[in-house]
Amino acid sequence: MTTVPASAATAAAPGFLEKHHFLLRRLHSLTGIVPIGVFLVAHLVTNSSLAWGKFGLRGEHAELGLQGGGAYYFQKEVAWINNEVPHLLLIEITLWAAIAFHSIFGVYYALQGKNNIARYSYQGNKRYALQRISGYFGILFIFYHIATLRWGWSFLVPGGTAWDHKFAVSTLATALRGGESFTAAGVAVSIFYFLGISLLVFHFANGIWTAAITWGLTISRQAQERWGYVCAALGAGLMLAAWSALIGALAISPADARKSEELFNKGKGAAIVAPAGPNTAPNIR
Amino acid sequence: MSTHTPVDPAAIARMANRKTAKAGRTVIFRIKRCDGPGKPSYWQDFKVQVPKNANVISCLQQIALSPVTTGGQPSTPVVWESGCLEEVCGSCTMVINGSVRQSCSCLIDDYAPSEGDTLTLEPMSKFPVVRDLWVDRARLFNNLKRVKAWVPIDGTYASGSGPKESPEDQETRYVLSTCMSCGCCLEACPQFNVEADESKWNTDFIGAHAISQARLFNMHETGKRLAAERLEALSGAGGVSDCGNAQNCVKVCPKRIPLTESIAAMGRAVVFHKVKQFFNR
Ligand code: HEM
Ligand code: SF4
Ligand code: SF4
Ligand code: FES
Repeated sequence: MTTVPASAATAAAPGFLEKHHFLLRRLHSLTGIVPIGVFLVAHLVTNSSLAWGKFGLRGEHAELGLQGGGAYYFQKEVAWINNEVPHLLLIEITLWAAIAFHSIFGVYYALQGKNNIARYSYQGNKRYALQRISGYFGILFIFYHIATLRWGWSFLVPGGTAWDHKFAVSTLATALRGGESFTAAGVAVSIFYFLGISLLVFHFANGIWTAAITWGLTISRQAQERWGYVCAALGAGLMLAAWSALIGALAISPADARKSEELFNKGKGAAIVAPAGPNTAPNIR
Repeated sequence: MSTHTPVDPAAIARMANRKTAKAGRTVIFRIKRCDGPGKPSYWQDFKVQVPKNANVISCLQQIALSPVTTGGQPSTPVVWESGCLEEVCGSCTMVINGSVRQSCSCLIDDYAPSEGDTLTLEPMSKFPVVRDLWVDRARLFNNLKRVKAWVPIDGTYASGSGPKESPEDQETRYVLSTCMSCGCCLEACPQFNVEADESKWNTDFIGAHAISQARLFNMHETGKRLAAERLEALSGAGGVSDCGNAQNCVKVCPKRIPLTESIAAMGRAVVFHKVKQFFNR
């Protein structure tokens, strides 16, 4: 089957991007949902346990209170991921590759459009614009997030804290605060986190709404509207999870977090000494 | 499945102005002009005494009678394109107060009901200007050719009568068939942008109108013969996947064609087409 040789065409040989246009477009859509979107959901639900983890402990270590209990439960989950999940590095690399693909093509596709919300301020058009803005911002945020908390680029963290999975909460809390207590740079990092997670949750929720049109799942206006409500509800739930994770991480002092972590680590039989301060965290793996 | 898209509430709200608009009031027409292809654009203002129920075309005719700007400078008549004067040919499409629509069906009473109100007229920005408000929509028609938006009946022998059409399909198809190639959906689309280089016309985003016409002719019992070719064109560069789902097209379409339903329907058809091709070829 050949395409139409329309009158205006000059017969240039199609490049790689044009030849595989459909496949690349659909892979871009798919990677946004699996694996990135699925991971996002799992990641935010796990992290929100910083806020509700105490209730997950079912009375165990009640002396830790709401915040200490959350830290204990979260530390337990991080330990489980690091010790029990098989092929963790393979999973991580798959995820990074998918994020890189989706981001690079996302920017390329976003650059092909030209926002016109000034003239056509329909709600759908605003979401179109925000989908692209949140994509751009998302790249910055995800890169900073992974570089500082996973790859150990602690020179990007005010106070220089390196994240440590055996002290998951205290090192996170110090990174967000910029030290043992809040600093101006730490507040900036925390605001950056708030914007990053909020925009990405919007991006995902709006993304699964558009994906249903892209793949032709929702065709009628009514179906698109109905699925829109489902996406909005899912987005609201995820937003709640994301915000409670951030609030949970900001509300606990690094010192209190270390108490919970030591208690957990002692229970695991591992003789791990807590880091003395934000700059001297041992990088135990 | 729904047929017509609901009317824009803003348009209904504007109609309320008809009751208060006074005959004989002065309205300033602020017009973006251009003397020819590639020439720079400039703005000129004209005063018009507007009678009741005047539309943009009748006011442009008044300006043509004595083209003098508000500053008292003699000028040339403003050039525009029109045909049917009843919103069925699409040729008079322009950007009015920042939004694209037909000028023949645009009542001044709706937009500028009070003495001294201003109405802004610009040519569409996604097509090359021929002169003033007149643009060249060749690319729109080129994109209809990309999807073979016709029923193939030409041949060397009579092919007899066509297959029966079902009333259900006919009902869905009717509204799609009312497209008048006006270009509103392209003007408002953030994914459809000006392209002077004709060699790129066939790989740039094809636009909502062509996607919807491909659906119309793929649903037609005889038009179906070209279905695979249309889907092949729609799956390629500039095809349906380049739509960014901003859904401006459906809001501005004067015929209230459910363009976003067509986009989703063709998105689905293209998936099936590609999967089938993967296994069959
Ligand atoms: C947490 C990370 C991310 C998730 C979960 C995610 C998810 C999604 C989903 C589900 C879609 C919908 C695909 C469709 O409409 O078919 C989408 C679209 C999009 N994403 Fe992402 N994304 C993420 C990060 C990014 C980043 C970092 C960028 C960089 C710019 C980006 C740019 C885009 C763009 C431009 C679209 C619209 C594509 C189009 O409709 O043409 N995304 N994303
Ligand atoms: S689909 Fe609607 S807006 Fe687009 S060209 Fe046809 S009539 Fe005009
Ligand atoms: S839905 Fe697609 S075709 Fe319609 S205006 Fe948006 S990007 Fe353009
Ligand atoms: S002149 Fe035909 S639509 Fe206005």
